[in-house]
Amino acid sequence: MADDMQDFAAEARAFLDAHAPKATDRTAPTWGEGDDSMAYFSSLPPEAEQEHVRRARDWQRVRHEHGFGWITGPIEYGGRGLTPVHDLLYDAVESEYDVADTGVLGVIGLGMIGPTILAHAQPTVKERWLTAMYRGDAIACQLFSEPGAGSDLASVATKAVREGDEWVLNGQKVWTSVAQHSQIGLALTCTNPDVPKHRGITAFLVPMDAPGVEVRPLRQMTGGADFNEVFLTDVRIPDDHRLGEVDGGWTVALTTLMNERATVGSEGVGPVAAALSPDHLSALMRATWTWDDRALRARLAELLVDALATRHLNTRALRTLRAGGTPGPEMSVSKLMYGQNLTRAAHFVSDVLGPRIIADTGQWGTYAWSELLLATPALRILGGTEEIMKNILAERVLGLPKEVRS
Amino acid sequence: MTADETGLRELRSSVREFLEAKSPEEAVRKLMESEPRFDPAVWAQAAEQLRLPGLVIPEEYGGDGFGLVELGVVLEEMGRALLCAPFFATVVLATQALLASGDREVCARHLPGIAAGGTTAALAVTEDSGSWDPAMISARAVPDGDGAWKLTGRKAFVIDGTTADLLLVVARTVAGPSLFAVDRDAPGLAAEPMETLDATRAMARLTFDAVPARLVGADGAAGRTMAKVLDIASVALAAEQSGGARRCLEASAEHARTRHQFGRPIGSFQAVKHKCADMLVQVELAEAASREAARLADEGSEEFPLAAAVAHACCSRAYMFAAMENIQVHGGIGFTWEHPAHLYFRRAKSSQLLFGGPAVYHERLLDRLGI
Repeated sequence: MADDMQDFAAEARAFLDAHAPKATDRTAPTWGEGDDSMAYFSSLPPEAEQEHVRRARDWQRVRHEHGFGWITGPIEYGGRGLTPVHDLLYDAVESEYDVADTGVLGVIGLGMIGPTILAHAQPTVKERWLTAMYRGDAIACQLFSEPGAGSDLASVATKAVREGDEWVLNGQKVWTSVAQHSQIGLALTCTNPDVPKHRGITAFLVPMDAPGVEVRPLRQMTGGADFNEVFLTDVRIPDDHRLGEVDGGWTVALTTLMNERATVGSEGVGPVAAALSPDHLSALMRATWTWDDRALRARLAELLVDALATRHLNTRALRTLRAGGTPGPEMSVSKLMYGQNLTRAAHFVSDVLGPRIIADTGQWGTYAWSELLLATPALRILGGTEEIMKNILAERVLGLPKEVRS
Repeated sequence: MTADETGLRELRSSVREFLEAKSPEEAVRKLMESEPRFDPAVWAQAAEQLRLPGLVIPEEYGGDGFGLVELGVVLEEMGRALLCAPFFATVVLATQALLASGDREVCARHLPGIAAGGTTAALAVTEDSGSWDPAMISARAVPDGDGAWKLTGRKAFVIDGTTADLLLVVARTVAGPSLFAVDRDAPGLAAEPMETLDATRAMARLTFDAVPARLVGADGAAGRTMAKVLDIASVALAAEQSGGARRCLEASAEHARTRHQFGRPIGSFQAVKHKCADMLVQVELAEAASREAARLADEGSEEFPLAAAVAHACCSRAYMFAAMENIQVHGGIGFTWEHPAHLYFRRAKSSQLLFGGPAVYHERLLDRLGI
């Protein structure tokens, strides 16, 4: 490691030592002890959810005050002006500590919307929002998907009509994570229905407290409500909150989506890391007296081969990044495998548990898996469905002809 | 010695260039129906021009002392080209057995000849069951005075067993499974070729009738030696498999881009496109698993045995999947004798089962994890 990297890592470690305890390893639990939650999506009651968001904001503020709030951001917007490699290094160091989960503001807002604002917003908006976001004051959401625009995102129907220095937005967005906590949202709208759809889209930054913005929770199949529907009715947005050119919003969207793939593909920690942990799974098989079942052992081995090979893939991509290179298709492959591995793990564990996952016996570490089981279908859909990901791999990596599209 | 990224790229391109010239499909097809199952002239050139036989042999024994990372690059290319050569048996199995035995005297006697390309060697472990488990071995060796031994029994599935100059044989003594060296022309040794699913990899049945043999390493130590050899050989095989799988993917993508049906390239149909994407996913995982395992081996990491088991299982499955889907993407033409797809299919299945197959390698993986 280069000297400046070592200095940076040492600085990060000194900061974390002063502000957070060391993390405990959740992948190798003592059977029957500690938290057995396997929730992929949060399943917190409203007050606890508010507390969770408050802790996330607080920790982001502490990071920001010590120069780790936006490691790759420009200094004029409160960033540190360092490289993505420094960012990765900080993440690696921070993962050794027990700090608040900042996913609510980090994954979408800081990971995807922030870079998009930086690349495409007008100066007034950058000044107004960027520092606020990376200081933990403003949470941002992504107002992209609509009931009629899922995989075919460019067919958004939300209308934006210009009136003087303002735009008037009308339409409905769906599957909006963290909208209920957000101060701003990045909206894709249709501003010209008479041209091919990719050329008639305009992007706006919508203050979520603007009159006419209504956020309604969307209850998903897990029973929780981690997503929202957002209704926009005569919402007036000043023109300086437009990102990119009029009808140039597809370029803006691509910036966001590129950052999404980078973010989603790197998920590998959190409470569900246990689901792919050999130690955890073998402890489960011992606790259920299934460790010598040959059929289950073969399936466990197949599952672990994929989980460990995916880990190797991530390790190698990360090493390429750290060496200043650009990884190939590893991140897209890793995202596909992440969803598939967790899905298979959930079904494998279901078969190990048998009836204990269809009704709660109260036994530690058993029925809790139902939370993960019910979440796994989402992992093959969100952030680009498996089918879309495969199209991208086949077309961009293998050079296969594009699907005939209208 | 280790090569940096540039060095590895150069190694890869020089091996690829050599194989494109010396091991095109016509050459492979000719050799797989000849005896010996390789071209001695090409093997001599591989030694003279590229120093391939000595790649991983330590410098003190006349080799270049490279590691598994470099060996992996070479094997990926050989797997792509389905090279018919004594490389896998000599450089991977036999050389690694000699090195793992820790017998410096025997290494000094045989490795320089192997490194120079003059000596080929084979490793005879499996018997009629095909198992690599030393506990399953029934061939026996008894002392014959003055440190000499006599070996009796049968071996099967011995790669290059009819052609190798030097045979390394695992046989049981009162101390347990032990490794022995036997010369090609030793009295009492008979070798006959086996008909093989994959004709590009020659296999033989060997019969030993009181054949003079020399002990390699300590008496009764072959169990541990073979465990080490199998880890390294699994990773070497994994590299060969990932190279073959990558070639199948390229052939499928090429065909999907250019073959037209219903007035469109078939690769524009999602059913075909997604098949190719699934192959890509498998190939990427396979390369990551085999290259990472090789890296961990060269670093002397304690994670290596687990990574070796992962690479073996991952690449075995990936290659079989890619070889199978490659035929499907090609349709009827892929099922013909003239098309190379079946050569990869045969190699993929044969490689997957070479060291025991899924039932064995899955348990080995779980064993490495303490499960």
